[in-house]
Amino acid sequence: MKKKGKLTVTITMGIACFALVMVMFMQFKIVSETDITSIETMREEELRTELANWKDKYQEANNQYEEKNQKLQEYKDKEASNAESSELIQKELDQVNVVLGKTDVEGEGITITLKDSDDVEVGKITSDNLLSIVNALKLAGAEAISINEERIINMSDIVTVNLTVIKVNQQRILSPYIIKAIGNQTYLESSLLGNGGYIDQLKKIGHDVSIEKSTKNNKIKIPKYNKEITTKYMK
Amino acid sequence: MTNKKIISLVLGIMCFALTVGICIQIRTVENTNSAVSQSYTENNLRGEVLKYKERYDNKVKDIEKLDQELEAKREQVTANNSELEEAENQIKQGNKLNGLTDVTGPGVIITLSDSKAEASSVMDSSLLVVHDLDVLSVINELKNAGAEAISINDQRIIPTTAIVCGGNIININGEKIGAPFVIKAIGLPETLANLARPEGYLSILKEYQIGVELKKSNNITINKYSGVINYKYATTIQEK
Repeated sequence: MKKKGKLTVTITMGIACFALVMVMFMQFKIVSETDITSIETMREEELRTELANWKDKYQEANNQYEEKNQKLQEYKDKEASNAESSELIQKELDQVNVVLGKTDVEGEGITITLKDSDDVEVGKITSDNLLSIVNALKLAGAEAISINEERIINMSDIVTVNLTVIKVNQQRILSPYIIKAIGNQTYLESSLLGNGGYIDQLKKIGHDVSIEKSTKNNKIKIPKYNKEITTKYMK
Repeated sequence: MTNKKIISLVLGIMCFALTVGICIQIRTVENTNSAVSQSYTENNLRGEVLKYKERYDNKVKDIEKLDQELEAKREQVTANNSELEEAENQIKQGNKLNGLTDVTGPGVIITLSDSKAEASSVMDSSLLVVHDLDVLSVINELKNAGAEAISINDQRIIPTTAIVCGGNIININGEKIGAPFVIKAIGLPETLANLARPEGYLSILKEYQIGVELKKSNNITINKYSGVINYKYATTIQEK
């Protein structure tokens, strides 16, 4: 009888201990979870932008996928005909060359004109100014850019030589600087001219800058890179 | 008798502890209830972001597969036609220059890291970190020195790549990257290494105690651009 009582007590205590431990674990889990959320509640806005960003990228990739799929289908359809498949290849080569900068291109866009200021305090336009404008244009989605008819390609540099001479693609350029860009016109203009945009900043310190939008009958025309693009080192 | 007393005492203490535990838990749950519902939308958002990222990555992989098929098709079509073969070669070379294929070659690897100096030891602590303009200038100097392909933390520089500030990180090709910045460039190593000359941009950065390291290498691999290039506005002017 005495033994049986002890056994019951032990079992009861065991169960109680088990329950207690379980409850504690549950609590730890909840506490640690709440800790994470408290940090991350601050970032909802950021997450929304991030989501929009990835949605856009996905959409773009999807479009390209469809496009390429169609191209492949065309190749398959026109396999028999030599002339037609050759046309397809030429079309593809043209697309590559547009990105590369090896063809004259046209489209909607903007023209930016900058002049050196006579005011010593405002100073001249520097190669860094031009570099930043080109960078801002690329950010705004520009597909083709030129400065004084020098096409900006992937390997283009914009430097100052001997403190005064500005060179683009190793060619000297002089004020006034005319920068042409093809892309979504509204977006290009607003991102450069809008509050805090790079052109807006230049204007505020007194530089002589103007932006002109292209019209339907007067598209932006950008010449091709006028030298051979050669590579020696990359394979 | 004493035995029983001890047992009930122990049980009593345990019950007490259990009750306290439950009470604490109920309070925690109550406190966090509001946060939990908020974090619910957050977690949803985070899940969505991950989902789209994954879908994007999968699409890009699909596109890669398509590209291979297309190339095979093109080769098949152009096999017996010297003019078309030339066009096909130009497409391949163009894609290489536009950053759509992995490339290898000799060159340099430049590492830029934020200064290790105490922020309080200088007037303006923002001088101690690597900025978007610093990276942009270094890239520009590399291009000036004849670099043929460039990447920053494995983000390939393509014709449309912009380098912009996004708080304490830098945004390249829509991807956020942070210091240290590892810039790889393919070209003649001796010319590229000239970036470290006195009065060059790298030397200026060093003066501000930014960590600058330049290594020459005979075998650098630069990854291809992982996204898609999609032009909508620029079209070739047809010669008449």
